[in-house]
Amino acid sequence: MAMKYAYHPGNVAHSGSPEVAETMAPVARSLGLTLTPLEGATSCGAGIIRQANRKLQITLNARTFAMAESLGLEILTPCAATAGNLQEDLDSLRGDPLLLQEVNDILSRTCGMTFSGGTEVRHLLHVLVDEIGLEKIEKLAINPLNMEVAGYYSPYIQREGACGEDDVHDPDYMERLISALGGSAVQWEGRTNSVGAPGLLSEEGTVLRQAAAVLSEAKEEGAEIIVSACNLSHSVLDIYQGKAGRTSGISTNIPVIHLTEMLSFVMGHHNTRFAQLRTRVAVIGD
Amino acid sequence: MSEGLPLLILFGSQSGNAEDLASKAAKQGAQLGLSATVKGMDEIQLSELPSFQRVLIYCSTWGEGEQPDNAEDLWQAASADGAPSMGGCHFAVCALGDTSYEFFCESGKEWDGWFEKQGATRLVPRLDCDVDYDKPAAEFTTEALSHFAAVGADGVYVEANVGTASGDSSATQSPSTDDSVATSDEVELVGEGVEELLSSGDRSLDILFGSQSGNSEALAAKIAKQAKSYGLEGKVHDMDGFDFNSLAAKKRVIIVCSTWGEGEQPDNAEELWQFANSDAASRMEGVHFAVCALGDSSYEFFCESGKEWDRIFETLGATRIVERLDCDVDYDAPAAEWTLEVLPNLAAVDSTGLFHEDMVDSINQLASGTSGAEGEDGFTVPSIQADSIQVEVSVFRYDPEAASTGSDSWACVFPGHTSVMEALRAIKATHDGSLTFRDGTSDDPSTAISVNGRLVLPGRTRIDSIVSTREGVARMRIDPIPGSEVIRDLVVDHWPLERKRESSEPWMVASTREGFQAPQGVIGTMHSVVATRLHSLADYDSAPLLHASSDAVPYANGFLGPAVLASSWARRCDPRTAPESKDSIEAIIGSKNGIKAETDLAPISRRAGYSGAVSEGLLEARTKALENDSFNGLLGKHVWWYCWTVKSSGKVNDTVLYRQVLGPIGLLGNLFSGVTARMVLGFTRTGGSILNDILGMVAPPAGIGKMPRQFNTSVENHHQVVAIFNEMDGRF
Repeated sequence: MAMKYAYHPGNVAHSGSPEVAETMAPVARSLGLTLTPLEGATSCGAGIIRQANRKLQITLNARTFAMAESLGLEILTPCAATAGNLQEDLDSLRGDPLLLQEVNDILSRTCGMTFSGGTEVRHLLHVLVDEIGLEKIEKLAINPLNMEVAGYYSPYIQREGACGEDDVHDPDYMERLISALGGSAVQWEGRTNSVGAPGLLSEEGTVLRQAAAVLSEAKEEGAEIIVSACNLSHSVLDIYQGKAGRTSGISTNIPVIHLTEMLSFVMGHHNTRFAQLRTRVAVIGD
Repeated sequence: MSEGLPLLILFGSQSGNAEDLASKAAKQGAQLGLSATVKGMDEIQLSELPSFQRVLIYCSTWGEGEQPDNAEDLWQAASADGAPSMGGCHFAVCALGDTSYEFFCESGKEWDGWFEKQGATRLVPRLDCDVDYDKPAAEFTTEALSHFAAVGADGVYVEANVGTASGDSSATQSPSTDDSVATSDEVELVGEGVEELLSSGDRSLDILFGSQSGNSEALAAKIAKQAKSYGLEGKVHDMDGFDFNSLAAKKRVIIVCSTWGEGEQPDNAEELWQFANSDAASRMEGVHFAVCALGDSSYEFFCESGKEWDRIFETLGATRIVERLDCDVDYDAPAAEWTLEVLPNLAAVDSTGLFHEDMVDSINQLASGTSGAEGEDGFTVPSIQADSIQVEVSVFRYDPEAASTGSDSWACVFPGHTSVMEALRAIKATHDGSLTFRDGTSDDPSTAISVNGRLVLPGRTRIDSIVSTREGVARMRIDPIPGSEVIRDLVVDHWPLERKRESSEPWMVASTREGFQAPQGVIGTMHSVVATRLHSLADYDSAPLLHASSDAVPYANGFLGPAVLASSWARRCDPRTAPESKDSIEAIIGSKNGIKAETDLAPISRRAGYSGAVSEGLLEARTKALENDSFNGLLGKHVWWYCWTVKSSGKVNDTVLYRQVLGPIGLLGNLFSGVTARMVLGFTRTGGSILNDILGMVAPPAGIGKMPRQFNTSVENHHQVVAIFNEMDGRF
């Protein structure tokens, strides 16, 4: 039976990371996921809107929750930052009836909708392990990874109540998934560290040093590629890795791909791209 | 025992406390040869009372000075005309109440007055108990019963037969009398055990504070609370209005006093100080004392007031039990350490004023053994044992002499309830004596370490709660906390954090505020909601631990970090803080090393493990800093334009963000640093369609490679998003 979810692509899939949208669709088909796009959903706020006005971000996300609730679906997203921000605001609404009432009053006046708490937020990684199961995914692996892979979780989904059955501080879902896809999972500490994506434009120096530390640790532990469960962090790890290396003076060159790309490649949907990635790993190195 | 002297014990009880006391008194009375009958006040008729020669009353007070339900009828009868005479009756009353009510112990007072009015003889003065009644009520019972036992079968009271008066209880009481009900002084004189010493006789500890800003008062209250663990009843006294000569009868005294101005006594201590130096001041030969002086070493007369009190007590003949402590502005840690030394010493002073030095160590052991097992409410937490588990323990090692790092692993078996601290101690004792870590009490904040990625206090963390079991193997990986320089193995340098705390001006500059007249003097008032919020804003166990929860700390030079900022924000939100001080705190929080230097708040909230209030407070501090800057600066622009773009289309527009936040110079920087190139050439890494990207170049930079789009399509029902913004925040 197909599993149905309301789909939130995250903040950057529509713009700077079109490869997420391109790979998510065929992966969903292979996995038997029916995704209903939340066409009206706004940005999750990325933890930035709440810096100006916490209730504003909560209300915008409550509108997204209300849309999913009206569909009778849980929300699925491949972006850890989006999953984490949505989950945090969902917890706030559930934990504070007065806040929920206040937000519903605003939603009712402005959008003609209310939210009663009837949806959940799921990151793709947790749906893969908890709902679909690694055995099924293993059977779908047409092109085994055959690489040393460092799984990057980011800090956003690694919090109580937001990471399924996985350990908040010492997770292994990504490593188990990589193994199921024929890769060799690298053990490393930086996999849940922040690379400072929300501060990229204001504290670039610090962010570059944070990113460099994560990238270099993965390399030192023998990783040939990094797979990121966070689209937002991926932007920093990929686009800024050269600058991070020059700023910190340490080696940071390593290919960084999205979780959805890894799944798509292994499931045989983008063979040319996978070949291109193997070439980069073997020849170029970043 | 049934042939003993009859004693009627009446209780008027609402919640059962008075009844409990009555039952205990009956058992105790039997040992004195008293045959007690315990009755509720609703189990006896008024007309029966005159037949008793001995009546002991325990009565609580209800509501606004009303009799408890089971006493109401008897009291109505007693208050009516024609109440019987009680001549020939001997009585005593223990009244239970609550000082927070206006009519404190009113019912007991009424019964006391009634018996006297009806001609009965009061054997001992009435005792009025507050909510913490156990100890005084027990002492009262002991005394009252010894007096009742001195009322002979003929109804004649022989004072000489009172055990406490003669000092020889065994000689004055019935044959059944034993040492357990002897007077407390005797027990202490003959008793050998520490527990006896700590639970018998006068255990009062009088703590006087001289305070200008409230620090001494707070410290005195803390000491009083702690004293309970040492079998002492701490009583805190404001020096203002205190009867100095009453100290002469005390056995244990602590002075906590700050210094004001140029070595002057604080306002509330001035009068007492004048009296202490006058000829009217009594000698204090039987008093053991200790002085904690608070001051500021930047002043010439550092801790002068405390030094003066120390001298005058000595001059008046008191015995200094521990050397005076002179504290600088950062007094918490030294005062806590000093308290741990003072309390066991004062606890070893018995009610005769004799200091049992040989018992100090035993008292310390007893106190440390019980402190962890008992909650503040006296509820004893049962010790929970767990099965042993085999653990592979991996510990980070760093040798500063060889400048080498690595890790050592040991296969160990521990009971599951063993704390990580105990495990480290065991490894050090049995496997590797060179293993270095900070040892300390379970709540010592400086002991913070990382275990399996969690930032914890090892003394508070059970092994079975933190091991990671993979493929049937339980593992425990122990590292120093991140963000601080490692000195050796698990020991990190906390000094930089202290310097940052120091630079945040962590002292309180208070404003004048309204006071409330309480029995102990004028005290400040604060609404409980405000007090709770203030407490929660800085409710973290360990500053080093909270500091380490930020992923930006190791990479941002000068960044104050979340611990310092959470504490600063709590002071900023404190209504007692002076307005000019609030401005100063906001300036520190909003500075370049303040809250804006944090790149990501998410790691803090997920790691801290505290109430969400700490991370919420940091978010509030950030919002306040942005508002104070009118959303200027890089962070301000980032936040402002992020909101603006989401309002404009429902989606974030990275192109607008880059352009507005970085400006032309920043964009040029990205161009030359290769960032723009990696964006434009993104399709070479993602394998995206080159054709589409070439088409994109027609209207650059609309989605080339990983270059963000310049224009977003709007989300469905975009007008709803605009309406939410307009309703909630018109700034964007």
